[in-house]
Amino acid sequence: MHQHPWQNGMELLEDVLKNKNCISTGCEGIDTVLNGGLRKGQLTELAGPSSSGKTQVCLCTALHVADKEMGEVMFLDTGNSFSSKRIASMMEKEIRLERVMTRIFHQAVFDIFTMFTVLNDLCLNLRQEEERNRERKLCLLIIDSISSLITPILGGKNSNGWSMMVSIGFLLKKLAYEHNIAVLVTNHTVGGERGSSKPALGESWKCIPHVRLFLSNDRETYIRNVSVLKHTSVILGRSSTFMINDGWKI
Amino acid sequence: MLPGRAIFSNRSDGVTPMTAHERLPQNRPIQSDFFGAQTAWEMLSEELVQKHITTGCQDLDDILGGGIHCKEVTEIGGVPGIGKTQIGIQLAVNVQIPDEFGGLGGKAIYIDTEGSFMVERAYQIAKACVQDVLSISAIDGKVAETHRKKMNPNVFLANILYFRVCSYTEQIAVINYLEKFLAEERDVKILIIDSVSFLFRQDFDDLALRTRILSEMSLKLMKLAKSFNLAVVLLNQVTTKFTEGSFHLSLALGDSWSHACTNRVILYWNNDERCAYIEKSPSVRSASSGFSVTAEGIRNIIPSHKKIRIL
Repeated sequence: MHQHPWQNGMELLEDVLKNKNCISTGCEGIDTVLNGGLRKGQLTELAGPSSSGKTQVCLCTALHVADKEMGEVMFLDTGNSFSSKRIASMMEKEIRLERVMTRIFHQAVFDIFTMFTVLNDLCLNLRQEEERNRERKLCLLIIDSISSLITPILGGKNSNGWSMMVSIGFLLKKLAYEHNIAVLVTNHTVGGERGSSKPALGESWKCIPHVRLFLSNDRETYIRNVSVLKHTSVILGRSSTFMINDGWKI
Repeated sequence: MLPGRAIFSNRSDGVTPMTAHERLPQNRPIQSDFFGAQTAWEMLSEELVQKHITTGCQDLDDILGGGIHCKEVTEIGGVPGIGKTQIGIQLAVNVQIPDEFGGLGGKAIYIDTEGSFMVERAYQIAKACVQDVLSISAIDGKVAETHRKKMNPNVFLANILYFRVCSYTEQIAVINYLEKFLAEERDVKILIIDSVSFLFRQDFDDLALRTRILSEMSLKLMKLAKSFNLAVVLLNQVTTKFTEGSFHLSLALGDSWSHACTNRVILYWNNDERCAYIEKSPSVRSASSGFSVTAEGIRNIIPSHKKIRIL
C-alpha cells in the first residue's frame, strides 16, 4: 500500500474520513459534547463517582453501535455489571433483538494479566481476519472498568504496576489505531482538593486517553451531567446533561 | 468452561462437538471466534432462567428485581441496629429453600468478622422459613414426603458453613482459600461477609496499601461470583464523610471501594420504619422500600403503612 514510510496530510485526511468516523453513543447529551460521538481510532475515558451512570452509558453505547451502526461490540467486564436484561429493555423494537444481541460480546476479566492476554489475542485475531481480507466489523471495545484492574497493582515500592498500566494504555491505543476501533474505558474517582473528586490513576494515566469525560449525578433531581476534561478538538469544560430512565430517552 | 464454544456443541444437526471442532475453519461463524467470549444473546437467555435469592420481604425483592442475584456482588450497608446481620442470616437460610419450592437449594458460606452471628437466631429464622414454605405449598396441594424431609431447620443449619475470622490477614486468606473450596463444594450458592469493613477500619497506617488490598480482594470476590455462579453479599458499616462543608453518613472504606460492588443497597431509618434504598445497580432503577425485622426474620412492613416509593 505505502511505498514510503510516511503519510502526507491528504492521505491522513482520507484515512480519517474513510475509516475514523465518529460513532454515536445513543446518548444525545454525550454526543453533543463530543461533536458526534466516539471517534474510531481513539481511546475515550469515562470517569465519575460510583452510581454516576458510567455502566449505563457503556451499555447504551454498546446497544446503539450494535443496532444502528451494525457493528460488533466487545465488552470486557471487571465488575459483573454487564446486564443483558438491561440492554434488552433499552431496545425499541423487539424484532431485531436477537440480531443485535448476537453482535455484542461479553467477557469477564478479573486481573491485569488476563487483560493482556485478551487484548493480545484480540489483536492477533483482528490481524488474521485482515490478512484473509475478511471485513471484520468490530467497531467498539468497552472496558468497564479499567481502574479496578489497575488499582491493586499501582503504588507501593516497585514500579511494575505503573509500567503495566502504561503498557495497557499503549496496547489499547494501538488496537484502536490499527483496526479502526473506538475504545471506551471507565475510570473511578478519588478525593481531590477541598472535598472535590477527580479521576483516579494519577498523572501518568492522564496523558493516555485521547478524550476524557467526567460524569456526575445530582442526587435530588437525577439529572446526570457530563463535562469534557480533555479533548483534542472540543473546548475544555464544555458540558451537557442527560437523564437515565427505563426506556433510555436522553 | 468457555461459553463461546457452546455454539459448536449444538447437536441439532447431529454434529457432535468433536466433529464440529474439526469442521471449524470452514463452518465457524465469523463472529463467534473471540476467545471465550459470550454474546449478549446467550447471556440474556441464561439471565432469564436464573433464579434469585429471596430476602423474605416481598417489597424488597420487587425493587431488587426478584431478590439477590447470583453472579453479582451486592453490598448492603447501614447504621448499627438497622438489621444488616439479620438480612445476612435470612439470606443464608433462604438460599436453601429447595428447588421444588422455588428456591435455589444451595448451601451458604458465612464469614463472620465481628462475631455477631447468632446461631439461636438462625435456628429461629430457619424454623419460620420452613413453616412459611410448607404452608404456602400446602395450599397448592400435596407435598411429597421426600421434599418434606428436606424441610427441617436442622438441615438448614447444617448447610450454613461458618468461618470466624479475627484479622484482615485471615479474611484475605479465607477468601483466597475459597477458590479451591468452592471448586469442591459446588452446592454453595451464597457467600456472606459480615462485615467486610470491620477489620479494615483499624491498624492501617498506610491507606494506599489498604486501597490496594481492598481492590484486589474485590476483584477476587467478583471472580468467585462469576465462576461459581455465586451470590456474594457484603455487609458494610457506615462512616461520616465531610463534603461541601457538611457531614453526612456514607458507607465505610471510601470512594474507591464504592466501585467494588455490582449493586449497593443502603438501609436507613425513616422515622421508626426500616427502609432499603438501591443506590447503585446496573439492571434495576433506584428505588426504596420498607422492610421490617420480626421474630420470623425479614418480612414486609405491616400493610397499613406499606408503600413503595419509586424515585
